[in-house]
Amino acid sequence: MDMDNLRQRKPRVGDADAQFPLNADDELKDAVPRIVYRPAKPADGTNIYIAVLLTILALVVRLYKITNPAEVVFDEVHFGGFASKYINGKFFMDVHPPLGKLLIAASGVFAGFDGSFDFKGIGSDYLGPKVPYVAMRFFPGLFGVLLVPIAFLTMKNLGYSKPSAILAALLVTFENGLVTQSRLILLDSFLVFFTGLTAMMWSEFLTYQDDPFSLGWFNSLALTGVALGLTLSVKWVGLFLVALIGLSTIQNLWKLLGDTRNSLTTIARHFIVRAICLIVIPMAVYMAMFQVHFWALPNSGSGSSFMSPEFQATLKGNEIAATIKQVGYGSKVYFRHEATNGGYLHSHKSTYPGGSKQQQMTCYPFRGFIDEFLADENSGFTLLPPLEVINGTIIETNVTEFKRIKHGDIIRLEHAVTNKRLHSHDIRAPVTDNENHYEASGYGAAGFTGDTNDHWRIEQLEFDYKNPWIDAIHTPIRLVHVNLGCKLFSHSVKLPEWGFGQQEVTCAKNGKKRLTTWRIEYNENPWLDAKAEKVNYQRPSFLKKFIEIHQTMWRINAGLTSSHPFDSRPDSWPTLKRGISFWTSKKGGGQIYLIGNPVIWYSATLSLLVYVAFEAVSAALVKRGIKVTTTGYIAQASQGGWFLFLGWFLHYIPFFLMARQLFLHHYFPALYFSILLFCAIFDTATRRLGTATQSLAALFVAAAAVWMFYEFSPLTYGTVMTKEHCKRLKWRSRWDFDCNRIGRKVKSSVSQVVSGVTGGAHGGGASPVAEAVPAGGAVAPVENPDET
Amino acid sequence: MADETLRNRKGPKVKHDKSPKVDKIQKSEAAGKSGSDSEKENGPARVVATVIETVSTESDVNAAKANLQNTNPAKIIKDAKARAQRRAWSYHLALAFVTLLSFATRVYRISEPAQVVFDEVHFGKFASYYLRRQYYFDVHPPLGKLLLAATGWLAGYDGHFLFDKIGNDYVENNVPYVALRLTPATAGALIIPTVFLTLKEMGMSVAGATFAALLLVFDNALIAQSRLILLDSMLTFFAILSVYTWVKFYKQRHRAFSAPWWFWLSMTGVALALTTGVKMVGLFTVACIGIAVLFDLWELLDIRRGLSMRQVGRHFAARALCLIFLPIAIYLSFFYIHFAVLINSGPGDAFHTPAFQAELKGSSMNVGTPAIPYHANITFKNRDLKVYLHSHVDKYPLRYEDGRISSEGQQVTGYPHRDANNFWTLLPAEPELAGSHAEYEPTDEEKRKNLRYLKHGDHVRLHHPKTDSYLITHDVASPLTPTHMEMTTVKEDVALKRYNETLWKVLLLEEDDETSQAKVRARRGHLKLVNVHHKVAVHTHKGVLPPWGFGQQEINGNKNTKEPKNIWFIDEVQHPRIVNGTEIEDEPEKKEEKKDEKRLSFLQKFFELQSVMISANAGLVKPHPYSSTPITWPFVLRGISFWETKEGLRQIYLLGNPIIWWPAIVGTFMYLAMWVLDRIFLRRGVDDFRPPVRRWWDRSIGFLFLAWALHWLPFFLFERKLFLHHYLPSFIFSVMTAALVFEFIGRIAGEDGAKVDFRTPIAVWMKSQGGPIYWGLLGLALGAAVWSFYYFAPLTYGLGFESVEAIRAHKWLTSWDLQHA
Repeated sequence: MDMDNLRQRKPRVGDADAQFPLNADDELKDAVPRIVYRPAKPADGTNIYIAVLLTILALVVRLYKITNPAEVVFDEVHFGGFASKYINGKFFMDVHPPLGKLLIAASGVFAGFDGSFDFKGIGSDYLGPKVPYVAMRFFPGLFGVLLVPIAFLTMKNLGYSKPSAILAALLVTFENGLVTQSRLILLDSFLVFFTGLTAMMWSEFLTYQDDPFSLGWFNSLALTGVALGLTLSVKWVGLFLVALIGLSTIQNLWKLLGDTRNSLTTIARHFIVRAICLIVIPMAVYMAMFQVHFWALPNSGSGSSFMSPEFQATLKGNEIAATIKQVGYGSKVYFRHEATNGGYLHSHKSTYPGGSKQQQMTCYPFRGFIDEFLADENSGFTLLPPLEVINGTIIETNVTEFKRIKHGDIIRLEHAVTNKRLHSHDIRAPVTDNENHYEASGYGAAGFTGDTNDHWRIEQLEFDYKNPWIDAIHTPIRLVHVNLGCKLFSHSVKLPEWGFGQQEVTCAKNGKKRLTTWRIEYNENPWLDAKAEKVNYQRPSFLKKFIEIHQTMWRINAGLTSSHPFDSRPDSWPTLKRGISFWTSKKGGGQIYLIGNPVIWYSATLSLLVYVAFEAVSAALVKRGIKVTTTGYIAQASQGGWFLFLGWFLHYIPFFLMARQLFLHHYFPALYFSILLFCAIFDTATRRLGTATQSLAALFVAAAAVWMFYEFSPLTYGTVMTKEHCKRLKWRSRWDFDCNRIGRKVKSSVSQVVSGVTGGAHGGGASPVAEAVPAGGAVAPVENPDET
Repeated sequence: MADETLRNRKGPKVKHDKSPKVDKIQKSEAAGKSGSDSEKENGPARVVATVIETVSTESDVNAAKANLQNTNPAKIIKDAKARAQRRAWSYHLALAFVTLLSFATRVYRISEPAQVVFDEVHFGKFASYYLRRQYYFDVHPPLGKLLLAATGWLAGYDGHFLFDKIGNDYVENNVPYVALRLTPATAGALIIPTVFLTLKEMGMSVAGATFAALLLVFDNALIAQSRLILLDSMLTFFAILSVYTWVKFYKQRHRAFSAPWWFWLSMTGVALALTTGVKMVGLFTVACIGIAVLFDLWELLDIRRGLSMRQVGRHFAARALCLIFLPIAIYLSFFYIHFAVLINSGPGDAFHTPAFQAELKGSSMNVGTPAIPYHANITFKNRDLKVYLHSHVDKYPLRYEDGRISSEGQQVTGYPHRDANNFWTLLPAEPELAGSHAEYEPTDEEKRKNLRYLKHGDHVRLHHPKTDSYLITHDVASPLTPTHMEMTTVKEDVALKRYNETLWKVLLLEEDDETSQAKVRARRGHLKLVNVHHKVAVHTHKGVLPPWGFGQQEINGNKNTKEPKNIWFIDEVQHPRIVNGTEIEDEPEKKEEKKDEKRLSFLQKFFELQSVMISANAGLVKPHPYSSTPITWPFVLRGISFWETKEGLRQIYLLGNPIIWWPAIVGTFMYLAMWVLDRIFLRRGVDDFRPPVRRWWDRSIGFLFLAWALHWLPFFLFERKLFLHHYLPSFIFSVMTAALVFEFIGRIAGEDGAKVDFRTPIAVWMKSQGGPIYWGLLGLALGAAVWSFYYFAPLTYGLGFESVEAIRAHKWLTSWDLQHA
């Protein structure tokens, strides 16, 4: 047909812009002989021998003197500590998913560690308490070692020459930063290993593009998913990897979609298999890790107070006795504050020193033993009906039978011990001095009826008209002051000494919803006997616990904003502006200072610029009709380069959006990709020269890297070096390892917190809040009460 | 173009019995007045061709042929011109109509309420400061406020009123507030014709463009924001104007370097400068135009475009000139006027460095700023936290609550009040004790006066006279911040032994040069005190010491010497030769002194103000009761209460017209969905839209979509407090996008839509219309929008309600926190 012919006709080149083909690049690609991207498969028999040799070399380099120092270094404070908690089964909170810590704990168990050492501070001695720290360091070290053959195989899969792939492996081996980080009890070597593993599996999958749905195709895809899940289970940084694999998958599918020989059914199959392998499998792996985490931590511990009462009730040592369900007038109840874990609404004989000078109302966590729930009588309140005014006289209504309380009922709350009633009035709160907070106090006496400022409306958090009743434990409630319209509120602000450091309770307007939420955790009523229906917290399902722990982790993570002497911003990483001091010997010996191998680090950074410049120039040349860069191995290298560059980009740029404290070692996954990119560019630049010359060039680069590694190795291994040597390493003034300290003893023990060694200790490392805050027990992250 | 015409000529024969209804097209096509550029270029020949091309029934073809043979082609052209004039007339009429309506809706009852509303508190106040010529500080660039001030000046207002509180009365205070409000209202009203013209330029029908413009006329949020003394209507107007000028420029692309081409290019630059001059948000507009420029240049680079590299270079240079250098120059000129007007000291002084403040008349920085001689008693005040460096006899407790141990030395704290314990005696480092520090060589002036002045980079000791001890820091963790060094004082004997630890290097912030010999002056220079031995800076923070420290602030040594809280200045000076803050002169040499001080250049002042603006803007994080998150904006989940009074239950509540906002966001996302679908279809070899239409689609709707996204998405990265009105520019772009998407669908669904294929000239497509159903639907939508506008008008104009129930009825969403409800 004429029409069809016209439809199929190619637009003519050279017409006005109205006649441009839709996508000029597509057009051009068709014009040149198509390069099929088919990297060499790692079927080459020698590869395996090379990989083994590289592994042995890495074993030597990375595990050399792993026993040194026999002291706690940097964040071993945290991750060693977590291992102890796993072994003791005590629940803790941390901002990272559990896999890395589980692996460390497993190595500890394997080596016979009993969890009695608490890794309290940097520099604590390992030998005295007989901690099997060598085994615990060996395990992350092993993962660091295995990154080396992975780098080699990844490069092979992406189609680069053998010398370049070996070079990549060597550079990874001799990168001081990666070595330092992987020979200590830290998470990063797991993270980088799994990241590398995922990239390797995915590159393996890419070699099967001509053979879809084959066994190898399935295997590599599924293993990509598993590795992805494992990465994600070590640190959330794995999400960047998810983005990388996700984008690469979309690119992959887009290519399939463009090949009209593939039917839609085939494409759907491709899509579904990828969805299962890259979404379902990682999710399953990730969730399984949390299930293991919950199993491993059955006991209440420092992290319990971060969790909801339901969650806490699942931990041994935190169980709560069932209580009578129906709440009525005359009930004696304990109100638990929901969000802060500050404990129960509480009052005692002391009065406020300022304001109304009435009796204090606080939150107090003490609960006593499970069986004797009422150990602290001072938290008991009796629910009284409201006062009635008949002919101008105020009358206390007499309760003669059980009358259940429902949403909207007006009540008065009488403190069981002192007979004062919960009261609020137009006086500012004792500590939080702002217009939104009124004082909550205890007022009245046994005989004195009080006034309408004792009146509170009890409300369900979300009113359910089908079930308006207020029940113990099951109903989250709010207490609204009838006259002022404010709500009973508490937050993690402590009263001064006159309030015994208990938590402040106020009546707040515009208070955050979760901070005005209470729950009746104990209930007894004179008209209900022990046979009455009882309730307890429902055991949350795995999914509920999973979601809750994530909300908590997110909150803590976002709260990590305090500064650390060695934190850094992402813009300083690619230029290696400054390192991190991990440890300094107190006896004047060596020091461990996290710093990269400058030769490798700077070449890797430079390769990024070269890559971008190359791609930009190449695109402009194509646009000008010069197609030199779209043919041959350059085109192929450009494809692998794109994957590696994207890997670097996605593991680096998102850090700029993070306000939390960041450290140099957060750059390591990105560094790994940029090292590989350097070798990819090296390959492209030298391939013309032939294998022999290329090998020679690679040898030259590797030799430079090894020499530099050797120069910096005292900082890596923590061995002693001369002062001159140390000064020689100070290329930049911001590299602040301490050369003056060499051969000098440090005097006081407190000093090391401040001196060059400032590492994790307090507020240090990657996960300080989790440790620092709940240590005292009932302290939750600080809330901002002003937010509505 | 010639072969396109040829192809068209063949067209009708192929499909003449398929498309019966062509009158409309014929009419619209023959008119050929406005719209696509291809028409303009070809002139009469083109008109003839299109006439033939669009006629498609057999008889029409014959008639046309007959026409061509029998009558003069000039007559056909004449007819076409007549039709074009009729069309032009309808177009002008529509433009006038929407403009009038838009002014009417914005100016209606503009004098009500005669009270300060919402942020008039700020912007009215700033206008007053301009008129008083007193220096103020604001996070926004000056243009918007300068325009307000100019209006006030024209209206004879002297700036006596300070707009202190929402609800203050204007009439009582004799403020020409109506005039002030008319400026934003005018800008707000001009948005509508600009939108209309932009859409028209993009090839939308008159009716469609009118529809879109009317939607914006009747949007409650735009109205409420425009009729008050606020900046957003100006910002929005300039942003839309930038887009309009860019579109006009883009349409000149086939006449590169012609006069109109240059005109519209430079106008784009001007409009961008105006936008950014009102608020920094204008940078989003710059980004949007910038991306369009890059796309354009990328296409020019294409070899098939036939331009030499030299020509591409010229294109690039022209754009750089008009879109980079020109806007920067204009933007700077606003600041130049700003500094030229604000010559007196005012409430904004404190945001600036002492040198900057000294430029202002009547600044306290100009009095009592003596150079500091050694052996004077001085106090140090922290720049940010306003506490004095203080010490007293009490000691740090040996053991802290967490078990850490202190040095048990004398406490050094931050104390906010004046006190004798704040004084420190400034002592020079003694060369024989300080080791490397060389003997000081006094200057001639110093020899004459027998004094030595404190200079930048000096090593000094600080002696606390009340307790006779020296300030020192050492390797012990400070009480609240274990990662910082403890600060304490020691007696003479210890101080001599640990001499280097008691030495402090005084570094002026304003001096970069290590070798500078600048004198340190009281209340003039911001400085850091860095310990010579430990390299830590004296630091304080908001943390308050426990009762043993009397609740005073912690002072410690901070390894990170660059933190802003390490910055101090010298406040009071006690020295026999300094009386009332001035040095008694032995000889009259004041003039000489004055000469030393360098005046700040305009650019120095500009960069200082700009950086303070950016950091202050980032610091606006304290939540506001009506601030909201960007994700809620397109869905009108919440408004802002601007003003309220119990009397008559009146209130002004900024709320978008939901009947407009909701379809707008749906239409915008429809574009995205259609774009993705089209690309997927194309990938599978199914090409329904065809390149000409797709190009129009990408360059017009796509551009508006980009503008919408770029004016909205970046807000997600902001940590400062944000408000619904930040979405208004984006909202306008989303309405434009949606209107174009609907018209596109209308055209596809209309009877002409079927004819769209690869060979359809884009001009024909541009003139095609949606069917009556489409117009009916648009009419209905418009009706609903107008009704909704009317319904919510009491909230927009602050008219008041009859009863609380009536207010509650307006609460369509529970999250709309209307007052009195």
